[in-house]
Amino acid sequence: MKNIIRALRAERGWSQQDLADKLDVSRQSVNAIETGRYDPSLPLAFAIARLFGRSLEELFDDGPSVAEAAE
Amino acid sequence: MTQPKGFKSANRRYLQAFWPLMSMYVVTVVVTSSFIDMETAGASVRIGSAAATTLPLAGVLWVMLRLIAETDEYTRLRQLTAMARGGAITAALATFVGFLQIYGAIEGFPVFLLGPFFFLAYGFSYGAACLGKRD
Repeated sequence: MKNIIRALRAERGWSQQDLADKLDVSRQSVNAIETGRYDPSLPLAFAIARLFGRSLEELFDDGPSVAEAAE
Repeated sequence: MTQPKGFKSANRRYLQAFWPLMSMYVVTVVVTSSFIDMETAGASVRIGSAAATTLPLAGVLWVMLRLIAETDEYTRLRQLTAMARGGAITAALATFVGFLQIYGAIEGFPVFLLGPFFFLAYGFSYGAACLGKRD
């Protein structure tokens, strides 16, 4: 799933390790989420959203909906 | 059931338990193999020695499982995937060795070696996954 976490992190001048420390996850977790290799669970996704002051919809993009794709 | 505690505290709890248990394991292996003559020892001493050496290692396995339960979700996924791969490779090896014994190609394979082989396969699987994903 695409997301804008890398951009938001860069805006704040945080390293992946900084973000990992704030979320209490491994740096590898942050890397996997940023690159779209791993989709976080809802609790972790909400924690990320709270940290950046954004909604889940602003952070994550799961691509066009089924209805949009059909058009 | 153990609840997730976060990556850092889970790692800290793991290391706090891992090193004492591993030290106990090394000490019991050294003591039982250096100071007890197993050829002349009675059955109770042999069984006791085997149990004394196994218990710390069982403890290590328990803290590994606790780490997996408590750590962050992505690390848990990676650890469990590597364990499953290590287990599958070990099961395949055990099957191969079992058939070699049934067909008379080899005899007397020490089952004891399957444990270390599992950890080797688990470690390689975990390392290969890390390298492949360039974490």
